[in-house]
Amino acid sequence: MVKIEYLTPASPEERKRYYREEWNIKQVPEYIIQSIQEREFGFDHVGRGPNDRYKVFRTPDLLKRFLKVRTPFAAYCSVAFYDKPRRRDRWTKAELVFDVDAKDIPVRTCECEGVCEICLNEAREIVLGIIDTLKGDLGLQNIHVVYSGRGYHIRVLDNDVMSVNTDVRSQIVKYLVGADVPENEYSLDFEKVSYEHFVIPFGYPNVFTKRVKYAILHLNENSELDEVNKKLLKDVLKHRQLIELDNWGMFKNKIGPQRYRKVIKGIASMNMSLVDAKVSIDLKRILRLPSSLHSMVSMKCTEVKNIETFDPFDDAVPKFVYER
Amino acid sequence: MVSVAFINPLSDEGKMIVRELGEFDGVLSENDDLMSIVTESRSQEISDDSFIPRSYFDLALKRIEWYAKKKNDRNFDHKQYDFLFNPDINKFDVIAFFLLCQAIGVKYGPNSRESRVLVESQGKLIENRLGKLSKIERNVLVTNILNSLLSSAHIKWTFFEDLISSKKLKLHELILDSGEIILDKDDFLERFSHKIQGRKPEKMYEALIGDRIKELVMIKMVMQNTENYIRQVGERSNREIEPNPILLELADKISEVLLASVQTFGQGSGGYGGSVKASALNPKAFPPCVKKVMEGMKSGGRNDAIIMFLTPFISYARLYPAVFSENITKQISDVDPTLSIIQNEILPLIFGAAERCSPPLFEDQPQDKVNLNAKLGFGMHQNPELKNEGETTWYTPMSCEKVKIHLPSLCKPDETCKKIGNPLSYYNRKIWVVKKESKAESAVEEDIKD
Repeated sequence: MVKIEYLTPASPEERKRYYREEWNIKQVPEYIIQSIQEREFGFDHVGRGPNDRYKVFRTPDLLKRFLKVRTPFAAYCSVAFYDKPRRRDRWTKAELVFDVDAKDIPVRTCECEGVCEICLNEAREIVLGIIDTLKGDLGLQNIHVVYSGRGYHIRVLDNDVMSVNTDVRSQIVKYLVGADVPENEYSLDFEKVSYEHFVIPFGYPNVFTKRVKYAILHLNENSELDEVNKKLLKDVLKHRQLIELDNWGMFKNKIGPQRYRKVIKGIASMNMSLVDAKVSIDLKRILRLPSSLHSMVSMKCTEVKNIETFDPFDDAVPKFVYER
Repeated sequence: MVSVAFINPLSDEGKMIVRELGEFDGVLSENDDLMSIVTESRSQEISDDSFIPRSYFDLALKRIEWYAKKKNDRNFDHKQYDFLFNPDINKFDVIAFFLLCQAIGVKYGPNSRESRVLVESQGKLIENRLGKLSKIERNVLVTNILNSLLSSAHIKWTFFEDLISSKKLKLHELILDSGEIILDKDDFLERFSHKIQGRKPEKMYEALIGDRIKELVMIKMVMQNTENYIRQVGERSNREIEPNPILLELADKISEVLLASVQTFGQGSGGYGGSVKASALNPKAFPPCVKKVMEGMKSGGRNDAIIMFLTPFISYARLYPAVFSENITKQISDVDPTLSIIQNEILPLIFGAAERCSPPLFEDQPQDKVNLNAKLGFGMHQNPELKNEGETTWYTPMSCEKVKIHLPSLCKPDETCKKIGNPLSYYNRKIWVVKKESKAESAVEEDIKD
């Protein structure tokens, strides 16, 4: 087992070895190869950010030659499709993407500085939840996951959502992460009925319940939630085994209804940080190219075939790391 | 039974009424039939002639006036507009609606304040008109209209892309399953009843979807279609040579009605009304997100917080706080001709906040001063200079929605935040409260001196 703290930046020699001996154009996902002429590529040659932009490759072979010759520090490719990608002109559509970065997850059970096995696994759990909602609620199918080096990218290529604008994407993000507290009082003809989110086993209330459950089970005594004081946090931690057993009603009673409301409000607000929403609403973003090397941590940006069984420390470590 | 066109003037019935009218010529003439329907409306106030629309043209303006006054006038008297809820007025109402759409489409386009008011007023009219019907009639009417608006029983959520984009509908308010929006009761029961425990599925359907969501969807669809129609008219008028002068006259009158409402009734509930004058900044009235940035940010969000968020907020709060209510694009020199306020008040505040960041923003990223300058409308240059103004756009302040996306850690809402959608609206609202409080305080001090 390789520990990520051992994964220091790759040297120029190691980058050369990676692209010339290990990397293969076949590792670039088909959904990128098929649309290669419509996408913008960007490169970072020295480790200061992708400033070599607006690159276009007419064929996979030309991309292959570029990477093998230039062995860049980092390689990126647009989520956007253009008629004229060289000028980023005539945008036609863009993948819907979600960036779950392990180091930015708002509740982590580890205390590491950067990323570690524990928080990477937690990022994977969040990804699984998001995919579940993308498929189950939004009915999307063409979903790909990429291990980015320090987290995961979810890339959705269903035609239905590729053309939607920033505002729609922003609402999709909020739906997926559970950023709004659902109503709990509904008016009928002559009465009001109360349904807490956890008694509604479908739709957004159900998504919200899952995200709240995830958050509560991953909180620790140092976690910070808006308007939740230390005493309330302590009580949440004390009774959280009830949530694990899905005894929500009992949990709410133990905490008190008013205080329960505060907790879920705080979690809803925190949930906005589960993904980097700026990435999702950006229609012209460039994302790390799957198969390329994340030189900062010496990990391969890897297309994930099966997220349930994927282990970055088995599946995304370049050979040169083992030979260091 | 109330006509479908009374609720959805863009329906086939509505279009038929417009076709029957034919030419524009008669829209300014006094119409006895219209006046008698108005005066015979059950609770209509007729003590003053000005309460009674005499022509299609008048009726169109009354529709707008009703909404503007209802929103802004505390002494609004619904009896002056009771005719708008009399189904007998249907034919005239439909024509008035089309006149409004065309006038606004030709002169102002779909992104104007006038367009927004018409679209919102149509939504409110429908709500109020439905409210006067019996439950059964309301249900039948809504179902009929929905059926005509939706092509199939299985509606993908992406069908409502426009409504979601314009925030008329929020994704989380809808019940979604496998990509479809669930509106039909049987469909609901088939999909979910086996999952529901300890609650009656039928009752849950009525509460979560029922007539409420169906009506919401129907109303929002009519509103969206109204906006789309205004857009079509605007696009068509760009290709035509001369718009009808009656439409242009109506468009001018619409603006006058809105302006009169604002001038007479002031700020109202924070909609389009009210004008807040530029004055020295009062940090006590800043919203929590601005206060937080003013204290300085840690690395990571520094750039967005200072450049994207704080710079537009501070500059608009100081120089043009009424930007959203006036909805007129300005440059900084329109309100600060010598740029002295920018130099002496605004930039020092922004630089102070940048300095308090950790590490100080401009120390390790001096090039960001150029970005700051660009957000003020002075192009990609180091300092604001009049000769460069207009090279870039003066960015308007980020909405709360955008703050939540770009800078989620900043959003720690207080009570006032619940009532606003933009930090600048918070400031405009709060500044009155702060002024009032300080007046009260100085009054107390005066008392003590005495």
